[in-house]
Amino acid sequence: MSASTDSAIVKLENVHLSFGQTQVLKGIDLTINKGDAVSIIGPSGSGKSTILRCINALVTPQSGKITVAGTRVDQLTKESERIQLRKRVGIVFQQYNLFPHLTVLDNIVLAPTRILGADKTATVKLARELLEKVRLSEKADAYPGQLSGGQQQRVAIARALAMKPELVLFDEVTSALDPETVGEVLWVIRDLIRDGMTSILVTHEMRFAEEISDTVVFTENGKIVDYGPPQQIFHSTDNPRIRQFVGGLSGGGRGAVRDGEGI
Amino acid sequence: MQDMNLTGLFIDMMGRLGLNYEFLATGYEAQIWRDGFITTLYLVAVTIPVSLIVGLIFAACLTSGRLWLSAPVRAFVELTRNTPTLVQLMFSFLVLNTVVSNMLGGAQNNPLSPFFWVVAVVGLHVAALHAEAIRGGIEAVPSSMIEAARGMGFSQFEILRYVQIPLAFRSSLPAIVNGLISLVKSTTVGNAIAVSEITYASIMVWTQRDNVVEMMIVLLAFFSLINFVVARIGQWVERRLAIPGYGL
Repeated sequence: MSASTDSAIVKLENVHLSFGQTQVLKGIDLTINKGDAVSIIGPSGSGKSTILRCINALVTPQSGKITVAGTRVDQLTKESERIQLRKRVGIVFQQYNLFPHLTVLDNIVLAPTRILGADKTATVKLARELLEKVRLSEKADAYPGQLSGGQQQRVAIARALAMKPELVLFDEVTSALDPETVGEVLWVIRDLIRDGMTSILVTHEMRFAEEISDTVVFTENGKIVDYGPPQQIFHSTDNPRIRQFVGGLSGGGRGAVRDGEGI
Repeated sequence: MQDMNLTGLFIDMMGRLGLNYEFLATGYEAQIWRDGFITTLYLVAVTIPVSLIVGLIFAACLTSGRLWLSAPVRAFVELTRNTPTLVQLMFSFLVLNTVVSNMLGGAQNNPLSPFFWVVAVVGLHVAALHAEAIRGGIEAVPSSMIEAARGMGFSQFEILRYVQIPLAFRSSLPAIVNGLISLVKSTTVGNAIAVSEITYASIMVWTQRDNVVEMMIVLLAFFSLINFVVARIGQWVERRLAIPGYGL
């Protein structure tokens, strides 16, 4: 989140977005540099997931500038242009959304070969490497319905990586998982960030956000309330609202901070 | 000659049971009857793929979200579902076919045969049934899965092709097999416009021979056999496409 724009891979300037009468984003400014890991935290309904959807053009804001990897996303008018952008920006969702009729390997291979037109043999090789990376090599021929939630989510991450994205968006990827499998997914994301993948995470895992982020962004009511290094947001912020929100971190564990409730 | 002897033996045995299959020993009537089987099988073999392909296209139009695609298909589906196939066939053959003939300057220039009209009418009628079943399956695919595919850069058509149709086809397969069984039976409407399928051929024989019961036994057995095979193929496909760990 430095001032230099040369290395900025994502830049949002005064982004406003409404769904019907509901204002979801009320002037978002955010700069993310290449190689950074940024966590977006904040209460439910604060617009966190919508920010991610703006970045890969799944939703289009009413006003504001969005630049992603050199592309002015807000100026894209055709669906075909948005598709070109999405091929370069990976996104992983809360509900994994693997294709249930395809094996794990085919889930990973489908988009690169059919959508990008990549070579089949090379893609299968890449897919097996990615499966090794997410520690699921032995599940290549299994179907999603035969895997646990944590395993499915790791396959979903491998599937996103197979597109060789320039950055990856993680939208509450552990929120649907039982506590025992959260760790295995976070492990994979941690590895990815260490490898230098630009990552933007919407998360309720405060400890994890603190550990892996270069920058933590706190959102509430469609605005960015504050951002900065994790140390600042989690431990030395002057903002009483943020102190209140992250307050559960020290005492209550992850259950207490989920959704900002119970505080 | 061996063959003639077998036929003779069959006629003789059936005769003892009181069943009259003597026409089999004639050249002309036996030929019409044999051709009737072939025509029916040919009708079924052509109309099934027509109904499946058109049904898929109809379902794609119905779920496209584009009014200029969905509205005409919706209108056609409603019309064809709610009117008798026999009336549709007569209308097509007596009205549409005449219009085509007039446009081409006479019936001698019209390449469309009665066979064509049976395939078109029955095929499109069953396609409308398939379309409704497949549409239900397409709409049952969770929106979060579609968003995930969009997020990976799938176009709307690619989502349909690689995600929605494979899932919709599986969930609608039992309904599709029912549609195909009804299709097999519906090919008999061809006899109304003199397509010499098996019922037409049987009527030709029994008006000469007065052996309705004998012809009916064969007719019923023949259609039962075709639909037995259709149902078994359906079951086989269902098993082949079953997704491990998934509720389909």
